[in-house]
Parts: sequence; structure tokens; C-alpha cells
Amino acid sequence: MSTLDWVVLVGTIVAIVAYGLRRTRAPKNASTWLRGGADAKWYTIGLSIMATQASAITFLSTPGQGFEDGLGFVQFYFGVPIAMVLLSGTIVPIYYRTRVLTAYEYLEQRFDLKTRQLTAVIFLLQRGLGAGLSISAPAIIVSAVMGWSLMLTTLALGLVVIVYTVSGGTRAVNQTQQLQMAVMLGGMLAALGFIFSSLPASLSFGDAVDLAGVFGKMKAVDFSPRLETRYTFWSGLTGGTFVALAYFGTDQSQVQRYLSGESLTQSRLGLLFNGLLKIPMQLMILLVGVLVFVFFQFNPSPVFFNQAELETVRAAAPELATLEGRHAALTEQKRAVAEQWLEARHTGNELATHEQRLRALEQDDKAVRTEVRALVKKTDAHANAKDTDYVFLSFVMQRFPQGLVGLLLAVILLAAMSATASALNALGTTSVVDFWKRSVEPTLSDERGIAVARAFTVGWGVLAVAFAAFAAQLDNLIQAVNILGSIFYGPMLGVFLVGFFFKAARGTPVFIATLLAQAVVIATFVASDIGFLWYNVIGCALVVFFTLVLEPFIARPSTT
Amino acid sequence: MAEPGDEGRPPFFRTWGGAYVFVLVVLAVEIVALAVMSWSYA
Repeated sequence: MSTLDWVVLVGTIVAIVAYGLRRTRAPKNASTWLRGGADAKWYTIGLSIMATQASAITFLSTPGQGFEDGLGFVQFYFGVPIAMVLLSGTIVPIYYRTRVLTAYEYLEQRFDLKTRQLTAVIFLLQRGLGAGLSISAPAIIVSAVMGWSLMLTTLALGLVVIVYTVSGGTRAVNQTQQLQMAVMLGGMLAALGFIFSSLPASLSFGDAVDLAGVFGKMKAVDFSPRLETRYTFWSGLTGGTFVALAYFGTDQSQVQRYLSGESLTQSRLGLLFNGLLKIPMQLMILLVGVLVFVFFQFNPSPVFFNQAELETVRAAAPELATLEGRHAALTEQKRAVAEQWLEARHTGNELATHEQRLRALEQDDKAVRTEVRALVKKTDAHANAKDTDYVFLSFVMQRFPQGLVGLLLAVILLAAMSATASALNALGTTSVVDFWKRSVEPTLSDERGIAVARAFTVGWGVLAVAFAAFAAQLDNLIQAVNILGSIFYGPMLGVFLVGFFFKAARGTPVFIATLLAQAVVIATFVASDIGFLWYNVIGCALVVFFTLVLEPFIARPSTT
Repeated sequence: MAEPGDEGRPPFFRTWGGAYVFVLVVLAVEIVALAVMSWSYA
């Protein structure tokens, strides 16, 4: 990496953290530290919500997904605007009215202490693991591509986040996230512009999109009703809405963002802002991947995008050279046919024939790449044979001009930091509010509260970094923890929905219903192939169902 | 936190219902546009 890139990378990160801390000033008591002074405007809330959800994997995996499968992943976000509207109209006013600091605090007001602490424990478990992954997943990819030490990358990322989250609390997280999100969006727009400018001069934007369409990359909406297909219109609209309701409505790392709002109006506007921007933003990131795919129709591409892994295979398996030769020959043929296709678009001659040939060549090339993946796995059984997460970063490193490389790396590392900061902030808050102050030290003063909150945040930060270092050794764990999130979100949402909409429901039936629903969801995960987005719907519906069934059988407490 | 009058009009809209309908209409337009694009490349 050039000196200019280092200056841009380090300069951007240092400037943003310094700005966040300067705008924050040292908070003097726990309320300010936890709620950030309750003065955030809608744009701060909206950008902070978006930055919390946009982890580094968003900027690494999503272009890779666009490259491999096209725009279909955007369907996952169809539920977000619906969820933002539902939350603004229902849950958010209730949080404001009850003046809670955490989402789980509301559940004690509505049900009882055991329900509050059960949901808080579920959150701590899930988000604690998630915080580790939001550091380790990008650290693995960035260190492999850059040749940096994985351990040092993990430690450096973790340390920076811990420092500003602990010192400035919620306001520092919100303030830095505003700028982080602006840099992330600006960086991706610059990437989009650069990739488009790198395409052949004779290729217009319309030509590029149509060429991607020849390979099925522009199929954004799939109306097929198959439950096993991960992203369809139906799973996006139903499962996606439930995921978004659970994530934005009950996950403290998001709830804390909008509870720091100046007023209910500002919080609602922040959520609606997220609802309006989410789909265009994800489409833009997917389009980056699609344009990288188009770029490689006219330029040589690596047969496997994780270069470090490829070098290991090259040293151990001489047959790789044959596969690389076949891939290079196919790429050359594709380029020639793509140019003929481009010409035919203007003359109208044999356009369909060229399109058929392009698709056939792509199939052959896919077969070669599948063979390479099998070879990677054969050489090293622990290796990650999925290289789509490396597509974008390796493209940036090899093709982007000086300065822009540093900016894009900053985008990826800032995304890792923003997601982790919200998680640590929320983990510290929940530990203090729902456990320490509630069950250990009820007389905790506002002044001492800030020290306890900071201590918990440091503790969670250290745990997250330790887990990140451990997770780096176990690749399959990443997928497991992602699925773990969906397993827990459904029942969690169910508890809140019962609280809001079933006035007669009481604590004990809800508590038992949550445990039963959780058991059924885990059994479904173990015994079936249903796409994981559906776990959210099933878990939520089961909590409501079990509560209604159990309610008449559990004696009401005496009111004398 | 919430203040008196906080439940009032959102900017640019007569009621919150209007703001919610606007967000949902934008979503519907996006989905229809993406669906038409998907069919045109099918």
C-alpha cells in the first residue's frame, strides 16, 4: 500500500474518532453516558442506525454477493421500511412514555423481573458473540489481502473502538457514526464511479447493465414460493419484516440509538429516514459487485479471489496451473464474444446467438472455478473455499488508484468499528441497567454508575476481542453465529408483541411460552432445512400462541 | 425525552399517517420497478 493510502486510511480514522470525542466532552454522570444527553436530531439518529447495521461484512460480502448472484439479496431489505413504519407507530412511543433506558426494562414494567432478565440474557449472549464477529470477520479478510498480522489487526480494531466507546459513551458512538456513515456512503459512490470509468469506453451504463442482465445478475425479485430459497420476495417481505422488527425494536444496540433522540418526533424521523435509504444503499453496494463482474468480462480475473489461499494451493497442487490455464482461455473467449455482443447491440446482428455463447462460456468458467474450490478444500481441509468475500477487496487492491485504496480500506474498517461500538455501548448499558443496578446495587448513584458502565463496557470489549481472536481460527463459527441471531430474534419479538398487544397476558405464561418457543425454534433448526429467515416468524408466532394457550391454566396472583 | 406537543405533525406532512403512507408508497414503487426490471431480463 502506498504512503498516500496510509495517510488517507489513518487520517480518516483518527479524524473521525477525534471529532467524536471532541464533540462529546467527558460525560459526568451515568444518564448522560447511557443516553447521550437525549438531544440527538433525526439525521444523527438515522445515520447512527444505518452505521450500526452496516458492518464491515456489508461492504465486503455484499459486493461479492452482487458479483456472484446479482441483485437478489436486496429482497432481504424489503421488510425494513415496513418495520420502520410499524415501530414508529407502536413501540417507539411506548418506550418514550415509559421512560426506559433499555428495551428489556419495559418488560419488567409490563410483565415481571424474570421476563426482563431472560430477554436481557438472550441479548447479551447473542450480541456479545456478534460483537466479536464484527471485529474478526473483517480482520480475517483484511489481514489476508493486506498481508497484515491477523492478531494485530484484531487487537488494533478492538482497542480503538473500546477507547472511544468507553470514554464518550452513547454520544461519542452517535457522533462518530454520523461521520463514519458519510465516509462509507461517499467511499462506495467513489468506488462505483471508478469501476464504471474502468469499463471499456464504448460501453455505456445501459450496455453494462444489459450485459449483466445476460448473465441473470439483474434479477432482483424472485416470486417463487420455495421455502428453501433463502432470498425471495415472500421471505423478504415476511421474514425480512420480522427480522427488522426484532432487530430495530428489541435489540438494545439499535434501541439505544433512537432513545438518545431529542424527542419522539426526532426518533421517528430517524427511523423513517433509515426506511427510505436502506434499499437504495444496498442496491448501490450490490451494483458495485455487478459492475466488477462486468469489468471481468473484458479483463483477466483471478480464478480464485483469496490470493493467499491460492498461493498455498499453487505450492501443493500442480494441477492448479492447468485449471488456471483453462480459466484464462475461457476469459479470453468471453472477452471476444462480449465485444461481438456489444457490436451486435448496435447492428442487431446475431445478438441472441452471442448471448447464448456468453452464457455457455460462463457455465464452463463456473465449472472450472468449482474445481478450483474443491482443490482448495482438498489441499487444506480447514481452508475457506468460498472466495466471494474477497472479490471486492482484492479488486480494490489491484485496480484502484492511490488514495482511493486507503479510502476504501477506511470504509471497511470504519464499518467494523461502528457496528462494534454500538454493540459494546448496548452490552455495557444492559449489564448495568438490567442486572447490576436492578439486582446487585439498587442504590447505585449517577456518578458511580458511569464508572460501573465503563467497567462493563471494557469487560465486554475485552471479551469481544478475545472471542474475535478465537473465532478467527474457526471459520464455520461465523455462519453458526449468524444463524444463532435468527434463532433468538423470533421469540424475543414475540415477548414484546404480547406485551404491546395482549393486555391480559401476564409474566409467568409469557416466560414459559418464551422458553417453549425457543426450544421449538432450536429443534426446527436442528431437524429441518427451512431458510433461516423463517425462524423469526415461527419463533414470534409460537410465543404468542403458547402465551394464549397457557394463560387460562396459570393462576393469577392474589390481588387482596 | 418526549415533550408536550411531541406527537404533533411531522415535517412536510399533515399527520404521521401521511408520513408512513409516503414511506410505504416509496417501497411499493421500488419493488414494482425492480420486479419490472427482473422480468425484462428474464
